[in-house]
Amino acid sequence: MSNVKIAQTGISRDQAMADPISMEVFSNRLLTITEEMGNTLIRSSFSTNIKERKDCSVGLFDKRGRLVAQASHIPLHLGSLRGSVQAVLKRFPVETIRPGTAFISNDPYLAGGTHMPDISVVTPMFADGQLRFFTANIAHHSDVGGSVPGSVSANARTVFEEGIRLPPILIVENGKVREDLLDLIAQNTREPEERVLDIRVQMATNDQGNAALDGLIRQMGIEAVEQAVGDILSYTARRLQMRIDALGNARGAFTCHLDDDGSGGDPVPVTTTVWVENGNLVVDFAGTGPQARGALNVSASALDATVFYAVKALLDPQLMPNEGMMQSIDIRAEKGLIVNARFPAATGARSITCQKIARAIFGAFRQILPADRLMASGNDDLPTVVFSAAHAKREGTYVYLETLGGGGPATGRTDGMNAVHVHVTNTSNLPIEALENEYPLRVDEYSLVERSGGAGRYRGGLGLVRQVTSLQDGTIFSARSDGHKHPATGVAGGGDGKPARLYLNYGQDGQKSLPSKVTHLTLNTGENIRIETGGGGGLGNPAERPEAAVRLDLENGYIGTGDLPLYGRTG
Amino acid sequence: MYRIGVDVGGTFTDFTLLNDTTGEVLFYKVSSTPTDPSEAIQTGAREMLEEYRISPSDVSFIGHGTTVATNLVIERKGAKTALITTKGFRDVLEIGRQTRPHLYDYQVHNPPPLVQRVLRFEVSERLDSTGNELRPVDMAEVDAIIEKLIVADVKAVAICFLHSYVNAEHESVVRDRLRERLPDVYVTTSSDLLPEFREFERLSTTVLNSYSGPRMQTYLDRLARNVSSLGSPVIPYTIHSNGGLMSIPTVRQFPVRTCLSGPAAGVVGAAVVAREAGFENIVTFDVGGTSTDVSVIVDGEPQFTSNRNVADYPVKTPMVDIHVIGAGGGSIAWIDDAGALKVGPQSAGAVPGPVAYGRGGEMPTVTDANVVLHRLSPATLLNGKLKVKEDEARHVLDERVATPLELPLEDAAIGILRIANANMGRAIRSVSTERGHDLSRFALMAFGGAGPLHACDVAAECGIPTVIIPREPGTMCARGILLSDISLDFVRTLIKSASLSAWAIVKKNFADMRGQGAAWLEGEKVGVGLRRYVQFVEARYEGQNFEVAVAVPADADMSFDEFLIEFAKGHHAEYGYDIPGRTVEIVNCRIKAVGLVPKPRNDFHSDNRGSLADARIGSRAVLFSSNSGRIEAPVYERSRVPLGTEFSGPAIIEEMSSTTLIPPDARFHVDSAGNIIIVSMKAVG
Repeated sequence: MSNVKIAQTGISRDQAMADPISMEVFSNRLLTITEEMGNTLIRSSFSTNIKERKDCSVGLFDKRGRLVAQASHIPLHLGSLRGSVQAVLKRFPVETIRPGTAFISNDPYLAGGTHMPDISVVTPMFADGQLRFFTANIAHHSDVGGSVPGSVSANARTVFEEGIRLPPILIVENGKVREDLLDLIAQNTREPEERVLDIRVQMATNDQGNAALDGLIRQMGIEAVEQAVGDILSYTARRLQMRIDALGNARGAFTCHLDDDGSGGDPVPVTTTVWVENGNLVVDFAGTGPQARGALNVSASALDATVFYAVKALLDPQLMPNEGMMQSIDIRAEKGLIVNARFPAATGARSITCQKIARAIFGAFRQILPADRLMASGNDDLPTVVFSAAHAKREGTYVYLETLGGGGPATGRTDGMNAVHVHVTNTSNLPIEALENEYPLRVDEYSLVERSGGAGRYRGGLGLVRQVTSLQDGTIFSARSDGHKHPATGVAGGGDGKPARLYLNYGQDGQKSLPSKVTHLTLNTGENIRIETGGGGGLGNPAERPEAAVRLDLENGYIGTGDLPLYGRTG
Repeated sequence: MYRIGVDVGGTFTDFTLLNDTTGEVLFYKVSSTPTDPSEAIQTGAREMLEEYRISPSDVSFIGHGTTVATNLVIERKGAKTALITTKGFRDVLEIGRQTRPHLYDYQVHNPPPLVQRVLRFEVSERLDSTGNELRPVDMAEVDAIIEKLIVADVKAVAICFLHSYVNAEHESVVRDRLRERLPDVYVTTSSDLLPEFREFERLSTTVLNSYSGPRMQTYLDRLARNVSSLGSPVIPYTIHSNGGLMSIPTVRQFPVRTCLSGPAAGVVGAAVVAREAGFENIVTFDVGGTSTDVSVIVDGEPQFTSNRNVADYPVKTPMVDIHVIGAGGGSIAWIDDAGALKVGPQSAGAVPGPVAYGRGGEMPTVTDANVVLHRLSPATLLNGKLKVKEDEARHVLDERVATPLELPLEDAAIGILRIANANMGRAIRSVSTERGHDLSRFALMAFGGAGPLHACDVAAECGIPTVIIPREPGTMCARGILLSDISLDFVRTLIKSASLSAWAIVKKNFADMRGQGAAWLEGEKVGVGLRRYVQFVEARYEGQNFEVAVAVPADADMSFDEFLIEFAKGHHAEYGYDIPGRTVEIVNCRIKAVGLVPKPRNDFHSDNRGSLADARIGSRAVLFSSNSGRIEAPVYERSRVPLGTEFSGPAIIEEMSSTTLIPPDARFHVDSAGNIIIVSMKAVG
């Protein structure tokens, strides 16, 4: 084990816990607090994005800005709250922070955000007149202004097109909400009433967390709380350190590609090299392509979050997400790369690129991990489709946004899951019956893409089909996706998944294949859009797949008779 | 006359016997018979009646809670099942909500669909969201599918078409053809079971119903035979997941509704017992060997949900809202590779069980820690039927926990309990604060074999001021069955902007549904005077995708304006705000048809006016906290603890199915119904 103490965080990686039992009880209490905060945020918010899709997260930080506990509902937020708290501390030094304040921010460049719709609220927590902790939460608002409804367009060139920019701002002062500022923020969005509701809920969420922390400090005493915080961070650091040390001197590298940078053009490489250096896990992005003209750029916080997600998933899925885990990961990416963009590049559609970053890291670990922990690539694309038109039932315009799952990666022990979200997101679909009640659209098909999983000892998961017909003229359709040119690759002899596809007027006159990014396509009555998402990669030699599993796949139509030769079988 | 409640659990089958005339309650327990659970019901009932010298002809009621349907699903032992659905949508069952079950662990998968893809058939037919037919059912396709069902020897079929919740015609036509051609095949249509929108959850519920249907029928036949062989003329009722009773014919039709049978009865029973003891706001805390069930009772009423999973499959029928965590007496204590002590979620279960029970268990459990600290008797349990092996528990705890952590044995045991209690406390906070409740206004009612042992520590940890221990807490679920009414839930989806005309439709829906409920109650042989209807509208603001339930009294004529006011109030109560002027959308009409079961007031009174010393059966040196040292605590026999007077801890109160631990600072008394009421706990550490 290495003998390093990281100076800037003060977390020891090799020191035994002072009290392992109190640490466990305390971490349970912290989880209770973050879960309660998460429940309040989800229960009380208005936006479907927060409430139904749970596109939000909450966290606790100590006074130095170290993440102590976080309840993430989507992995892309893992670490992005850190950016917000650090930005607050940079703008408002600790000694200037008073009780009865709260801060709001969203900007990827000014405030450690990842894209503009994710608004953070950070609230300091005082005990005995002294600053002890911060509670923080982040939530994806359905609109923050900008050039398009929803504020995300793959075409956007700069953050100025993506809505209102919020550096860290005092939104609560002397215990009072600065209503004028709140109004300014809300009036710069398309649904001001909902923004005000949701931001108030975010502030109340932190207040609730602060009250719970206050109760905990009264019950345990501040010394015991601080000791337990130290124990939790060093326990986590030590646990990750053991995983990193087990990697030895191995080194892995992997390159994958975005189909284009969001504005057409050539594929963009995302290259990751990983190795262990001074006990740290280095994740280096040298070789990755330059920042995009469109909105596929990734800010530093989004890069951090994606790397933290990948390391946790690969090395220790149960690891607590806190500073103890993050300090041992050394992320290296030059400014100006698509994975670490320069101001003022647009970042709205960053999640597609984040999926590719995860693919590259998982790929690099293929050269490092033992066989049973290997993983193929999955549908690392995060396809998002948007239908918009005049509402059929009432005044105004509807915006129906959906993200689609696809084939999961085969692992060293299992087939890939069919039709699931992978990596940085995990949001639910909108039920067909809810969709058809709400919008002038009809779903023709929602099914698995047969034969789309990569062949292997463990087969890749199947992608999915969603085909939607417009029931009125003038429906505007946009898509931002990927994976049409570069499929999910297999590993250790496993085959690739089938690439993703997008069609206009599938199975009728004028059928046409569309690229992965489409903006402002107009659909008339009876015209359809068909999305077929990619299959996952397979793992291991397909000839070694047990006979019973091959026959069952054939019987169920997951594979076809045409695939049998791939599996070393005859019809 | 006598009434019998039976709860069939994995290890024990519990009985409660109520004397209708005196209100006296008696308890009994036998080992379960998992291959045919009705066998233990028969033998246990016979033994119990003999022991208490009661003639079977004096039994007026038998109700039971069963895990048969749940176990069929968990163990994947249901019938070979096919699905018939709308063309283009057979994979909805597999896609679900397209989410993965664990964010970080790709080895964790969704459970496999209960109908494999080759048995998922599509039919050309289509309705739109208003129920208009876009395409009629292609009966030639249906006939071709029937031939395939015959070849595949399918035993059960689920039928679920898009938008069938608004127009059941297409499903009915296909169902009728199947019944005609395949009379022995079990068929469920989603519109008969659960006419509610959101296709995946409705589909999943329908499939579970068909999947568990055929074997549930076999079980019910045996049950009816076994009960009649007792010599009692009564036909057994079954408690279902909403805490209501159903007759055998209804269970045959809707077996999926029994998935949470026993635990739901426990909560219903707890609500009644607590109300009689003067407590309206309760957290129920049911700790068993492998899991802890937690639920909230507000203003005397259990809370319901229709968003629960059974063995990870969504089931949309209304259920008592019970939160289950994997922490119980059998939870195993272990040390991870980075040196942290963890408790559970792995459990030693009933077999091999805790080390102290000597059934082959080798891993240290929560129960072993309780034995080492003498919180649980280090000699015998279950009225002497179970010998406790303290030395072996000490040895294992020392070897696997204390030595590696370099802690004294007793500190390690305390540590295990602190962690287990913290896990349980987290579950309680989660169910209560999710709905915005303040725990200082609640009492904790502890039952299950191990609930009363942990109750005071957990209450202190959560800031709950009062603990209630009902009599024979180990058999609370069986007792709850005797306190339940007959009931069934009905739902209709009506997605419409709220207006006077929409409100008229709501009214008409409710009138129709009351008719439906009345017909069902008639079938359950409930007299007109005992019928009640509980009605709710689920509504939301336009643009939202989640609903608030608004009670619409069945006996009063609520106006549209009153409804809007009640909706705003409900939204405010649930979410903290309302939005005046925003259009409201009506989504579902729900009704619960209730047949009141006459229940004699529980007028059992402990007549014990003796002294506490008379109840004393011994004492033992208990470690309540790591810094207090062992304290000699008197042990009392519960039935002899005198009524009314308040006493101080420390104390241990033992009865057949459970042990109650009362810490030194707490005060307690036994109330007139025999409940132990404990106050002034302090957090133990």
